[in-house]
Amino acid sequence: MKLLRLLGAGFSMSLRRSVAFRINLVFDVLLAFTGLGTAVAAVLIVFTRADAVAGWSKAEFLVLIGTYQLITGMRATFIDPNLSWFPETGIRNGKLDGYLLQPAPSLFLASLSLSSPLALIQFVLGVVVLGWGIGAAEQPPSVGGVVSWLVLMAAALVVTWALSVLLACLAFWAPKLQLDVFYHSAWQLGRYPTDVFARPIRVVLTYVFPMALIASVPSAALLRGPQLGVLVAGIAAAGGAAGLAAFAWRSGLRRYTGATS
Amino acid sequence: MRTAYLLGFRLRQEVLEWSGAWWFLATLVVQAVIAPLIGLFVWSAVYPDDPQIARYYVAVILVTLMTESFEQHTFSERIYDGTLSHELLRPQPVVIGVIGMNLAIRAWLTLLGAPIVLLTGIALRAGFDWHSVLRSLPSVVLAAALVFVWTFLLALTAFWTDRVHAVVGFGSQLVFLFGGTAAPIALLPDAWQRIAEVLPFYGMIGLPAEIAAGTRSGGAPGYQLVWILLLVGVVWVLWRAGVRRYTAVGS
Repeated sequence: MKLLRLLGAGFSMSLRRSVAFRINLVFDVLLAFTGLGTAVAAVLIVFTRADAVAGWSKAEFLVLIGTYQLITGMRATFIDPNLSWFPETGIRNGKLDGYLLQPAPSLFLASLSLSSPLALIQFVLGVVVLGWGIGAAEQPPSVGGVVSWLVLMAAALVVTWALSVLLACLAFWAPKLQLDVFYHSAWQLGRYPTDVFARPIRVVLTYVFPMALIASVPSAALLRGPQLGVLVAGIAAAGGAAGLAAFAWRSGLRRYTGATS
Repeated sequence: MRTAYLLGFRLRQEVLEWSGAWWFLATLVVQAVIAPLIGLFVWSAVYPDDPQIARYYVAVILVTLMTESFEQHTFSERIYDGTLSHELLRPQPVVIGVIGMNLAIRAWLTLLGAPIVLLTGIALRAGFDWHSVLRSLPSVVLAAALVFVWTFLLALTAFWTDRVHAVVGFGSQLVFLFGGTAAPIALLPDAWQRIAEVLPFYGMIGLPAEIAAGTRSGGAPGYQLVWILLLVGVVWVLWRAGVRRYTAVGS
């Protein structure tokens, strides 16, 4: 409860800071529109030449893009402002020292205390594309499909947070290793169903860098109906990833000797 | 002659400086190849038996690596932190330093990305006709110039706004959509295809890739040159206006 209040207070402060720069809002809205528009246009071009790609229909692709955009919007709003370029901003500049002195869990402060409310526009646009995809589907999603999608989205959010924390934790062992560009590039793979890729990449995207769980799995559950095994695997993956992230953070802190001392 | 000497000196200096950041350069290679790779997989799923798709996208990967530009990071940041003043005080055009760094980064990206291109080409059995590859070289050089001028033009907006990354991001989306990365131009719907062939983005990626892949026999140097000259004119105007507006930090 205390953490939720802290999250709310952090969001409120970030929102007030953001609306002071209204021109930035215009840029962010335009970029979000064109970014999503480009992604949708690329898919629509493909579907002028085929009725289905790797077993996915146009409606399913749109649902997948919408779902991917929702998670990406949440990540850009709540996680990226804290953990992007963490080796530089968190470790080398000594910001982590400040978090360690505050009366709240350092993992929460380092990963969720700041936010970028303007990035929520991506979330809103994601909802629009998701609605478009559902409307274009031959059959509306079942109640089980919707519930399954919601559960898997929650799991995907936890996995997204955990992946960012794990990436940031690398800085405790290799402070000069900067993998943000790599991470954000690989993230783009989530915008397409994993069935499109060759088998080795599909295996990596399912078990090593679980982008399949970010969009492909929830989207399939929404339109094709729930599967108990997938739900259990999604929840287990979220629990495992969160546990691993917390363990890595604690191990990293034991190794950390401070940048400003 | 003096300009060429200065450019050569700057290029050597930048190549050596960037040699220490090979790990970061490797992540830039991944960033450059990911969009063409996605295009390759998606279009291979649509046309599984067409060897032209693999050949075209392997060429797109190589052209992308050879023409990547990051002036929003290398140049615009100098406007934001005020260090552009140092460059303005030197008795040489500012753009020499920008071009030197651009060429150095491209050289490293091409070198580090070459194994990916080779592996992808071999794995997909994308046999190239070497005459076509050689024929594409002038077009690649013009494409490299075109991408640089386009990115530099967008990077100049840093004189007016602190959201230069959004501006350049928008420009990159246009290149992705109309340049031949999202889809080969020939596979676009007719109206889009006509628009794409007129805009400069096709000359940045798709045109040299098509020539190298052998799907197009001749280049279109006139089309690329006209766009380069046009964009250089706009850069010239923006540069003069921007420098007049520029106020150095601390002055």
